[in-house]
Amino acid sequence: MTQPDSAELLSLATPYALHAVTDAESIEIERQLATAPAEVASAFINEVRAVRQTMAKLSATTALEPPLTLRTRLLAAVSDSSTDRPNRSVSARWRRVALAAAAVIAVGLAAVGIGLAIRPTPPPPSSSTAAQVLAAPDVRTVSGPVTGSGTATLVFSRDRNAGVLVMNDVLPPQAGSVYQMWLVGAGGPRSAGIIDAASLGPSTKAVLTDLGDSKVLAFTVEPIGGSTKPTTPIFAKLALS
Amino acid sequence: MTVELDILLRRIADQDVEAFADFYDRTRARVYGLVIRVLRDPGYSEETTQDIYVQVWRSAANYDPTAGSPLAWLMTLAHRRAVDRVRAEQAAGDRESRYGAANTDRPADQVADTVISLDEQNQVRQCLDSLTEIQRECVQLAYYDGLTYAQVSERLSANLATIKSRIRDAIRSLRNCLGVS
Repeated sequence: MTQPDSAELLSLATPYALHAVTDAESIEIERQLATAPAEVASAFINEVRAVRQTMAKLSATTALEPPLTLRTRLLAAVSDSSTDRPNRSVSARWRRVALAAAAVIAVGLAAVGIGLAIRPTPPPPSSSTAAQVLAAPDVRTVSGPVTGSGTATLVFSRDRNAGVLVMNDVLPPQAGSVYQMWLVGAGGPRSAGIIDAASLGPSTKAVLTDLGDSKVLAFTVEPIGGSTKPTTPIFAKLALS
Repeated sequence: MTVELDILLRRIADQDVEAFADFYDRTRARVYGLVIRVLRDPGYSEETTQDIYVQVWRSAANYDPTAGSPLAWLMTLAHRRAVDRVRAEQAAGDRESRYGAANTDRPADQVADTVISLDEQNQVRQCLDSLTEIQRECVQLAYYDGLTYAQVSERLSANLATIKSRIRDAIRSLRNCLGVS
């Protein structure tokens, strides 16, 4: 690395520490750091540390009490995830995954009315179904990326024959279309409900009932109102295993 | 506070709920306050604050004391999450409608003074006040508004090198004033 490159890299230390660079720039900076002379890398890292320490102190000026309900929800989620641990070494990783899902779900259930339009299942998502799934001894979590943007996570229980789906940062369907969920078993795909643009937020939750013998939860783009069978390629899927 | 947070983080890594509650109580106002300053929307801010603490619960074991104080680790994580959220909302194009009527003024007495002393708040605020108008604007845009330095440069019609040095000078002034080595 030549001298001007080092100066250029160091000039980015403060923006980098403030997250004032794009993701692409951030990756490029980290790539350059890996091959930079030791003294340059060390100067960069010291600068980042000092900036972050400064911003941590600055947080005293913007402090604001969050709503009390947030504490209750967080602690409930955390406590749930740490009870029932017969085998600590095996369950530790699982508990952390479950917590993430449980915490996110708690928000969704508190916010009645933002739920999904689930058809044809008539009753709206109920807290008891979600709670039963989370409390089930055989509860499992599967997660995967959604083509384009975001992730889908399903927490499910075969015993309870139900699951709770959480979609994070998924872009809304294009005008005139919806996302449709399909439970795929030996008998082929059957609809598990529709997500339209209006019901899709940055974090969207849905309760799925009657998992049956399905092996996969798949997502396709369908015309408004949904279809009886998938008519476009699957853009995301989760294996229920 | 640093030593205590350090110990709490180690206990949280071992999935200690009591330690988590304690850690939350000591830091929640800083985290929520920063998040709402960035996001401005109370609903989004509550969700994001929850995500941040869930991440603390899951990744406390990743905290590396040689990389900085526990508070710096937490606030970096919090700011990252808030900025990610702001950029996602901007990409989705609805920032204007959700954030239009934002109001960031708030009384300081809403924060329990056992967690952050009035002295500390005053000292830090004085440091912020000692910045030039232009420096404060850079901190606002590049840190609280979640803009990249390139976006700041467009916003202020100044070239990239100028913006980078303005941001750096602003943070250096704060850093010196706050006695960060």
